[in-house]
Amino acid sequence: MEDIRHTSREYERELQEIRDGLLYLGVLTERALERGSQALLERNSDLARKIVREDEQIDRLDVDLEEKCIRLLALRQPAARDLRFITTAIKITGHLERIGDMAANIAEKVIILNDLPQIKPYVDLPRMVEIGRGMIRKSLDAMVREDIVLAKKVREEDTVIDQLNDQVFRELLTFMMEDPRKIQVCLYIMQISKSLERIADHAEGIADMVIYMVTGKSVRHKPASAEQG
Amino acid sequence: MKIRLSHKFIVAFLVIGVVAVTVAGLLIERELKTDLMIRIEKEMAVGARIIALMPAGEITRQAGELAERTRVRLTLIDAAGHVVADSELGDQETDGHLNRSEIQEARLRGVGKAVRYSHTLKKEMLYVAIPLREGSRTTGYIRLSRPLTEITLAINGIRGVIFGIIVLTVIALLLIALLFSLKMLFPIRRLVAFTGKVRAGDVSGALRLESRDEIGLLSENINEIVTTLQEKIQTADEEKRKLESLFSGMSEGVIVMDAENRIELVNRGMEEMTDRPCEEVIGKTLLEAFRNIGLHNALERFRERKETVYEEISLGDDRSVMMDVTISAVRGETGGERKTMLVFHDITHLKKLERIRTDFVANVTHEIRTPLAAIIGFAETLEQGAFEKPETARKFLRTIRENAERLNRLVDDLLTLSSLELGEAKLHREGVRIEEALDQVLAVVQTRAGEKGLTIRKELAGELPLIRADRDRLAQILINILDNAIKFTPIGGTISVATSSGEEDFLTVRITDSGVGIPKGEIPRLGERFYRADKTRSREPGGTGLGLSIVKHLMMAHGGRVIIDSTLGHGTTVSLHFPIFRDSG
Repeated sequence: MEDIRHTSREYERELQEIRDGLLYLGVLTERALERGSQALLERNSDLARKIVREDEQIDRLDVDLEEKCIRLLALRQPAARDLRFITTAIKITGHLERIGDMAANIAEKVIILNDLPQIKPYVDLPRMVEIGRGMIRKSLDAMVREDIVLAKKVREEDTVIDQLNDQVFRELLTFMMEDPRKIQVCLYIMQISKSLERIADHAEGIADMVIYMVTGKSVRHKPASAEQG
Repeated sequence: MKIRLSHKFIVAFLVIGVVAVTVAGLLIERELKTDLMIRIEKEMAVGARIIALMPAGEITRQAGELAERTRVRLTLIDAAGHVVADSELGDQETDGHLNRSEIQEARLRGVGKAVRYSHTLKKEMLYVAIPLREGSRTTGYIRLSRPLTEITLAINGIRGVIFGIIVLTVIALLLIALLFSLKMLFPIRRLVAFTGKVRAGDVSGALRLESRDEIGLLSENINEIVTTLQEKIQTADEEKRKLESLFSGMSEGVIVMDAENRIELVNRGMEEMTDRPCEEVIGKTLLEAFRNIGLHNALERFRERKETVYEEISLGDDRSVMMDVTISAVRGETGGERKTMLVFHDITHLKKLERIRTDFVANVTHEIRTPLAAIIGFAETLEQGAFEKPETARKFLRTIRENAERLNRLVDDLLTLSSLELGEAKLHREGVRIEEALDQVLAVVQTRAGEKGLTIRKELAGELPLIRADRDRLAQILINILDNAIKFTPIGGTISVATSSGEEDFLTVRITDSGVGIPKGEIPRLGERFYRADKTRSREPGGTGLGLSIVKHLMMAHGGRVIIDSTLGHGTTVSLHFPIFRDSG
């Protein structure tokens, strides 16, 4: 009896380690995004280079976490809820790793942009960063609290980012048509905007996985508006 | 199911009572029965003897009548055992009576008796017989017999009485037992109720029992125990309250983590620092609750090293709160459970001061280096031969002087500031007419404003009270503010100077410009030395970056206040609140 209890406690600890690992990864990606935005606004290329360097850490953590999940699957043979959690965790860490990559991509573009003249003050991009960060945070909060309502809210926020992305695109289009010398800058900004839009998609992916984890139902590839109650 | 003490008591009482009365009743019944039998036997024997005195023929003849009179059966038996006469049977012959036990006993002892079932009469009968003698020869026997039913009836009567007595006794016993148990058990019931209440946690009140016996002693002991308990609980409560108020009242944030590294306890200081109510974080891991990598890493390091860890972390969604966190093991724990305590100290303010200090040093050196570089540069150029061209040389010398003057101003301002901050600046405060001071100052700045095409409007409200100020310092304050207004207002703008004495003890001077304005977030930092709201703006010659700082300190030294209000793109209003001069003060 003693032995079983000990084992289950150990098992609980391992599950918690995975949960904490996801949160850790989430904070890192959030920080990378936030710093990217700061580097852009303050034209701070050193900070941007730091983000690119630190992406390595995110990649490494992703591999570690995935390994932990697979070990747990193999050794403990979890069932039902735990099984769903671990498979979800594997997916979420993948999403977070991709977000980290996107953030690094953004940082790279920021480095280039910082060497070019600024054509306009950035308004929409920092907003997108804020919303994106919020989505990552909320989707992971939803995971911790097993809160489907929050997860669904994250899904809805994705549309805001999409709209902002379109808006940025249209605005830049006018800039480019006005003055071909601005095309280079505009293209980089567009890539950043696109990356932010992809980040939001990944955050939505995390939220989808949380919904699956809690309810056991898959909502992937379904629009947020079609989702009922 | 519990058996009540009173029930046990009553049952025991009843059993003892019933058994005692029943045994006594049975003994009495047996005694009475024996006694009755002996008496009847004697009576019958006497009757038989009387009959025996009569001549034999007479007995035979009058048997029926005799029997009728005495309500007994009379049988006359001859020596051979033949029934000569029988009151019940008439002359019917029955033989073989000689071997009947009563006859044999009568022959041997003179009187014989027996209880037997009579086949003739089909009844249980009592027989008594005596022999008839003539000299020494036995001529026959007289036997009297009576049915036993009479006796049985009598005995039954006695039984009824005995039964009645038993019933009455039982009732009486029941009543006594009830009363007794009530009297005896009442205090015990109260004891039970009281101890039950104490067990449930209510230790208020005491037990009041009148009895002087063991139960009384018991209740006294219990009272004493409860009183001790009350005192102990009260002390513990007080201690707990003290600790709790200490815990929640301390400005430091405290988190206690259990052995599983989940948050077990959070104090109010922590809740306020992090803006997270305790029910939201209890039971979670640090990462779940605060999403702070720095904090998480610090705890990991503590777990690895098992020794107290100090760490500086930034908390909050925008990481604006700087914390000094100390992680240590909770001491005094017995057993294997290892808890961890995290104590957070808010050092945001300290950090800010530290930053201001380092910024100051960096700014001062920067401000000094710029004019120095110009001086050195121009001096070197002069040295290398520029002095031979008088036109250039004069221009250079003027630049050198200007820069030297700027350095001088900077040093002056710094000295003013430091003496103000140290509180060493002597103010000669007196009653000053603000109108006069304004006129004086406006005359000075008017030319500069004129150069930029700015109009300065003066809107003074009629009769104004005197303010309590140092004339020279007041001029310095006003010039600094007006200089700023002129500097930041684009060509053709207006600056207005208005006064009002809305507040009881203060006179307010409002200097409003139509300049570029200041972002809301920057306003609180304007008083910092060398702080510039617009970092990209090139440093204009003439400004030392200390003007507002000096104004702020001077106003404070005057017992007044500066309030800056601004809308970006629309202009800035600086309100100076001066204390009003009172003769007595």
